[in-house]
Amino acid sequence: MVLGTVPFGFVAGVAAVAAGMTAAQGIALSVFSFSGIAQLVASQLIAVHSPVLVTIAAAFVVSLRLLMYSAAIAPQLAHLDWRWRAGLSFLMTDQSFASAMQRYGAPGDPANRHWHFLGAASTLYGTWQVAVAIGAVAGARIPAEWSLDFAVVLTFIALLVPAVRTRADLAAAIVAAAIALAAAGLPYRLALVAATIGGIAVGLGIEAGRRRGAL
Amino acid sequence: MTTWIAIAGVSVSTFLLRASFIVFVDPHRFPHGFRQALKFVPPAVLAAIVAPGLMLAEGRLDLSLANPRLLAGLVAIAVTLRVRNAFAAIATGMATLWALQWAIGRFA
Repeated sequence: MVLGTVPFGFVAGVAAVAAGMTAAQGIALSVFSFSGIAQLVASQLIAVHSPVLVTIAAAFVVSLRLLMYSAAIAPQLAHLDWRWRAGLSFLMTDQSFASAMQRYGAPGDPANRHWHFLGAASTLYGTWQVAVAIGAVAGARIPAEWSLDFAVVLTFIALLVPAVRTRADLAAAIVAAAIALAAAGLPYRLALVAATIGGIAVGLGIEAGRRRGAL
Repeated sequence: MTTWIAIAGVSVSTFLLRASFIVFVDPHRFPHGFRQALKFVPPAVLAAIVAPGLMLAEGRLDLSLANPRLLAGLVAIAVTLRVRNAFAAIATGMATLWALQWAIGRFA
């Protein structure tokens, strides 16, 4: 779990600096948003001088999955006071959500499992911030011929492949990719938003069709 | 300054999304249709970022075998299908890209 975090964080740090942010800004983005995908998308948009609101909107759209996690884990955390809930929310990522859900699903007394959640999530937080900081400081010194920007794309491939689990997921991915390519000329990476909406619509359509066929 | 505002905005929105149901809203009020739609956000968003990174070269569509990024990306996809490991994807993809760039510089 931690092993995949290090290169991803390094790449996020490099990407922030390559986008024209100072190392301090890249690190601040990471310390406060703590989301690899949001950091990378924000960096891409800052690099092309998008308006602030477009940058924030794009980071919001790519982070919508966090709503799903929040709803799924909320019942397990409902007994905690608001400081615990706010703190664990802040630290929740794809990985810490997955490991916490696994733990809450296991047999035994669930009363103290928030400590495990806190432990796993803060370990990831620390590892991530160190990796981002190294990337942000080293990134400025890496020559362009190394094509390190491509590592960002590879990181997204490593996230995309496991996210495609069903035929509807695959259709959503293919349609989103096609729209992203066809609309690439639109300003401010609006293609990303159009592609996401198109992909979601096709995924929902296929799932609805399959369910109707099964009835 | 605008960069700092963007950083603050991105940070606030990721926190609000995470805290939404844990801190603020009863999760039972999460509409089912919305949940269904959110399931498709990761594959759609990620594919929309990956495809141009592999298939656009200087703003133009390049699906030829002479496009080293496309080939390197396909290698990384194949590797990730076998081993679910971000490090393996980055290492094999970068190694393929460098090898192809070197070969193109040498023989083209």
